[in-house]
Amino acid sequence: MRVPIRILTMIMTAVLAFGAVEAFTQPAFADAIPESRLDAQTRAKVAKATKHSPHDDRIEGSGKGMALLFWAFAAACVGGALFVVTRRNLIAATMGMVGSFLGIAAIYMMLYAHFLSVVQMLVYAGAIMVLFVFVIMILNRPEDEPVAPSGRAGQVIGGLAIVYLVGRLVMMLIKVQPPNAAQSALAPGPTPEGHDWGSVRAVGTELFGPGLFVFEAISILLLIAVVGAIAIARPLHEDQDNAGEPSHAGEDPH
Amino acid sequence: MSSILFEVGYGHFLVLAAVLFLIGVAGVLVRRNALIILMSVELMLNAANMTLLTFARMWGDMSGHTFALIVIAVAAAEASVGLAIVVAVFRGRRNVDVDRLTTLRH
Repeated sequence: MRVPIRILTMIMTAVLAFGAVEAFTQPAFADAIPESRLDAQTRAKVAKATKHSPHDDRIEGSGKGMALLFWAFAAACVGGALFVVTRRNLIAATMGMVGSFLGIAAIYMMLYAHFLSVVQMLVYAGAIMVLFVFVIMILNRPEDEPVAPSGRAGQVIGGLAIVYLVGRLVMMLIKVQPPNAAQSALAPGPTPEGHDWGSVRAVGTELFGPGLFVFEAISILLLIAVVGAIAIARPLHEDQDNAGEPSHAGEDPH
Repeated sequence: MSSILFEVGYGHFLVLAAVLFLIGVAGVLVRRNALIILMSVELMLNAANMTLLTFARMWGDMSGHTFALIVIAVAAAEASVGLAIVVAVFRGRRNVDVDRLTTLRH
């Protein structure tokens, strides 16, 4: 168990390093959308945009290095998620969740959602992870759950159905194309200050403009959540007389 | 084949989000520990977020980012309330196995 994980980690580190070097040494993000898919006018526009600024992010970037980075982070996401679902140890599951969330944050970065990527790391890999770890420590019970029993036939049929459905899903989704190539190549237009699509400024402008009502509603929701969490987790009145006793007081006979 | 490997397009992000969502669904359906189920729900919310951001990038529309931020806030609220419920349930009956939770009272 240990050795394959170590080998996997080494392979992933190598892929990450190689991808990072490739991505940073590429002159521009111009070769994302294959040239053949663009008409002549768009190609000229793309060429002009990339000549204007080599790091202009209006062109969807995915050279080979970007692709390698994508695969590495996607592997982190899926591996962490599988860890969550399969581990019996709750702390291991939480750490898998953190790995998955960090991979997802990197994927957000590739989608030019810089601000949301940082928010993802702070909120999920920081706050929610700490919350889960605290609750696991409070509960402090080794898990004794068996996997739901199902016969061999059920496993085979279920596995085949899952493979078929996932295959169909992948075949459908992998072909998703932008609404039109020209719009996608140039659409996330820069703000007057520069190419800060997805930055704090852009998200803030969006949030405090059209999304102001939703923003205020979210603040009320968070307030209610805080009050509700405290109200639910507080011991009930009849429990208060034995609240100070050690935790084996009310052992469930089951 | 190599074009799928080396030209990452929007479809790749959508497929990744779908796979993450499916793993989350599997976790909710298969596992019995309430904490793992909560983690799987967080995974599903994240997959939905990734889809939102992919389409935001695809259409060049920033409102997807607003929506994703709201989803993150709702997920945080959901996690706090959900974990509070888990703690309250554990206090009453000393386990968090959802198959044994058949009543709402202690």
